[in-house]
Amino acid sequence: MPIMGQEFVLDDIDRAIVEQLRNNGRASNQQIADTLGLTATTVSTRIRRMEDANQLRVVAVSDFSAHGYNVLMQVAVEVEGRPASDVAAELAQFPEVFAAHVVTGRYDIDLLVVLHDFDELPTLLFNKFGQVRGIRSILPAIAVDVIKYKFDVAPIEDRAAS
Amino acid sequence: MSLPQLDDLDRQLIDVLAKDARVSNRRIAADLGVTEGTVRGRIKRLQEERLIAFTAITGFGINRAARLAFIGVQAQVDDVRAVAQAIAEVPQVNAVMVTMGQFNILAICLFAELENLVLETSDRILALPGVHHVETSIAVKTFKYDPRVVRITAASAPAADAGDDA
Repeated sequence: MPIMGQEFVLDDIDRAIVEQLRNNGRASNQQIADTLGLTATTVSTRIRRMEDANQLRVVAVSDFSAHGYNVLMQVAVEVEGRPASDVAAELAQFPEVFAAHVVTGRYDIDLLVVLHDFDELPTLLFNKFGQVRGIRSILPAIAVDVIKYKFDVAPIEDRAAS
Repeated sequence: MSLPQLDDLDRQLIDVLAKDARVSNRRIAADLGVTEGTVRGRIKRLQEERLIAFTAITGFGINRAARLAFIGVQAQVDDVRAVAQAIAEVPQVNAVMVTMGQFNILAICLFAELENLVLETSDRILALPGVHHVETSIAVKTFKYDPRVVRITAASAPAADAGDDA
């Protein structure tokens, strides 16, 4: 597991362990060790090192519905007269805004918005988005069916900060 | 769509496991003041109902796929599900949803080089039968994103939990 500068490089053993964990994050060190022909100590050490380098988290992910969210929307926002980053930072404060990115292209900000119910839409539009300066137009796309949602690569924040 | 019934213990379990899935049932039971059997049973139920899934999340650095792109697709309306399925098979594509809006499919993908995004992803989507138009926007800066709350689809749910200790 060489560390080159700031960059953390995984070797084949690390990758094999990650693969096992992707399939079952709750597999025991011993189970993983048996499958890969390693010792449980090696497995545990490798996992800890990847976690300490903020390159790995073994977690439970939960479905939107487990949090009571029934409505999922992608919302493109066009900005005028204000830096898009400022508008995005402000929009990111709303709990309904689940993800916020400044993007290239015709629209300036891409949001993922979650709602418990469509009844929450007027409050979101009038009392929240409506109060943010710099929004020129809003283009929603309502998710009707989620075909694929792979969630195993993501920016990882420091555990101390999370 | 009816929502699942979750009580406080379910929510506490989700919180604990979202931070670290490798905590043993014994430890969780002791921390939450319930029996190990209760913890095991609850986790099993949450997994079976696809409310939680255990997985390994790796940093962007590992796959060197540092950037996120959103590809809006205008696809033939009467065949939109089949087109969405075909898009989901493109390896670089992480998420695909059928939407109602200016585009009827949204694909989200990760890429390392602009060339990969165009040649291996958007070009491949464009070439699929039933696709009329694609429009790509690239995330330049992310202000908010929680990788732990997701849509668990039948295909994305990893194997059910077998183990106890970790």
